[in-house]
Amino acid sequence: MTARTLAWRAMTADPARATLAVAGVAIIGALLFDMLLLSRGLLVSLRQMLDSAGYDVRIVASEGFPIRLPVDHASAVAADVARLPEVRAVAVVRTDRAILFGRGDPIEATLLTVSRGAEAQAWRLVDGENLPADAGSPDRPPPAVIDRALAEALGLRPGAPLWLRALLQGEASALPAVRFRLVGIAEFATAESGDHTVATTLDGYRRARTAGASDDAADVILAASRPEVGAARAAAAIERARPDVRAFSNDQVVARFNENGFAYFRQISVVLSSVTMGFAVLLVATLLTVSVNQRLGEVAALRALGLPRRRVAAMLAWESACVVGLGGALSIPLGWALAVRLDHILRQIPNLPERLHFFVFEPELAAWHAALLGLTAAAAAAYPVWIAARLPIAETLRQETIS
Amino acid sequence: MSDHSGTSARVNGRASAGPDLTPRADREGTAAPGRAGGRGACIVEASNLTRVFPMPSGPVAALRGASIRIAAGEYVAITGPSGCGKSTLLHLLGCVDVPTSGSVRFEGRDVAGLSESERARLRLMRVGFVFQRFFLLPMLDARENVELPQAEAGVPPAERRRRADELLAYVGLAERARHRPAQLSGGEMQRVAIARALANRPALLLADEPTGELDEETGEQIAALFDRVNADGTAIVLVTHNLQLAARAGRRLAMRGGRLEP
Repeated sequence: MTARTLAWRAMTADPARATLAVAGVAIIGALLFDMLLLSRGLLVSLRQMLDSAGYDVRIVASEGFPIRLPVDHASAVAADVARLPEVRAVAVVRTDRAILFGRGDPIEATLLTVSRGAEAQAWRLVDGENLPADAGSPDRPPPAVIDRALAEALGLRPGAPLWLRALLQGEASALPAVRFRLVGIAEFATAESGDHTVATTLDGYRRARTAGASDDAADVILAASRPEVGAARAAAAIERARPDVRAFSNDQVVARFNENGFAYFRQISVVLSSVTMGFAVLLVATLLTVSVNQRLGEVAALRALGLPRRRVAAMLAWESACVVGLGGALSIPLGWALAVRLDHILRQIPNLPERLHFFVFEPELAAWHAALLGLTAAAAAAYPVWIAARLPIAETLRQETIS
Repeated sequence: MSDHSGTSARVNGRASAGPDLTPRADREGTAAPGRAGGRGACIVEASNLTRVFPMPSGPVAALRGASIRIAAGEYVAITGPSGCGKSTLLHLLGCVDVPTSGSVRFEGRDVAGLSESERARLRLMRVGFVFQRFFLLPMLDARENVELPQAEAGVPPAERRRRADELLAYVGLAERARHRPAQLSGGEMQRVAIARALANRPALLLADEPTGELDEETGEQIAALFDRVNADGTAIVLVTHNLQLAARAGRRLAMRGGRLEP
């Protein structure tokens, strides 16, 4: 009859107490699990988002990344970068704001254009056709692809005319509306929650900006390194070739976010994880201590019969492990369901990339969760084990008999 | 009517059929060489014991120079008023407590020289305890309660189950082996507790007010069981207020103010 068997029997002998304890640990464990998912969720999600674009180097103008300034002379920069042996592909990304007119009310959206060949990474066509490869006749309205929600809001389908007026920063929006033709509906990789996107060709972009189209600026230039070179070496080569820009590998971008904005989530996660673990320790320790105090006579009798301290201690430690183990197992699905709900709520924050998630599962988090709960079980068992181990046998038997 | 004559009438062999209650040969070195043996050999010898308990109102001496020698196969009853130190003496004889002064030698070994784990091992293998309030584990059935000390002693599962069943049959509870303590009467629980105390074939059975929670008829049954256990070779020391129970012992001692009187 092992300590584990005795612990299990002791636990199941009082189903109400065991249920309360397991339910409490399951809820606390779920919160702990969510804190772990949150601690690195944004970073992992950001990394996945960056990698999914198919480019592993980002070229920007300013020193103070991630605050972005436009990259001037983007076409020339892109051409220089494309010539580097370390670089496999280059894409220029330009964005602006625009107001679109359809059948319903005017709607503000992000106006996006990417260099040819990068469309597949920027959006996925779900209806109609993609932007044509050739520039098209100057007499013909330029083509546009919009997101599904925008199409529904404007009441448009592929083939319909679309009027678009660009909004230029720092300038009065006196630009005339330009007629486009809607060729397709797509899901955009860089879509932000609460915002809409309209993509067009570089020609369409310039025609929309008309009078403001004097510059050749880009928000960001993306580069894909050659596999045998790697992103870090490609970024260094780009900065050597063009000292007027800064190039960051995806690793470096994630590292910068980790040091800056996302560090808050990690700190919050650490604090809340500690608090939840503290609650778990208190809950299990209290229940076990009450249980031990109710069984002092039995414990003293077991010791009198010759069961050594370590056996009694092992029994209580196993009892703690059973409670925390069962609660911990239940906490995973519970925590996951909670994480899905919380993630949905947090992703309602405006201007957040739609593909960015706050709660992201990684296999090693399950191991961390198990390890932290194991630590919790050990800490929770410490006090009741100490009570049982230090119990004066004779005195306890006498007290229990008198009482 | 059970035999009330004490040890002398039973010195030749076991008095009843059933499980082997002969104290096991000491194979673990818990006894000094050559000291554990047949009837008449000394099991435990306490000399000039004092036990002082620190209390908020000042130290209280529960024992004041008590001495006693228990031989193998003996049946000793200790009576006396509440608070006279009976239970304290029992705990010292059973190695669950240590004296403030004086010495306890169990099968030739000075208990003061044993570590806590060595004393636990000695209790497990050489001493059986029966408590007034039984202290059975409520989550285990009768058989499992009896198996528990054997499991701790490393007895293989099949063997300990067989012995537990034999012991439960011996105490008249063969049909109740799968019942938990909550499903048993007070007398039945005490009989399970006696079976548990005998599980590892102890040299000495210590009983602290074993009939204190039982009615007269049930107490009589338990007393008869003690007679039988003693007749089958186990030395017994019991402390009790029950003079009828004490009268069945071969040797009766009275205790007053922490001292033993013949």
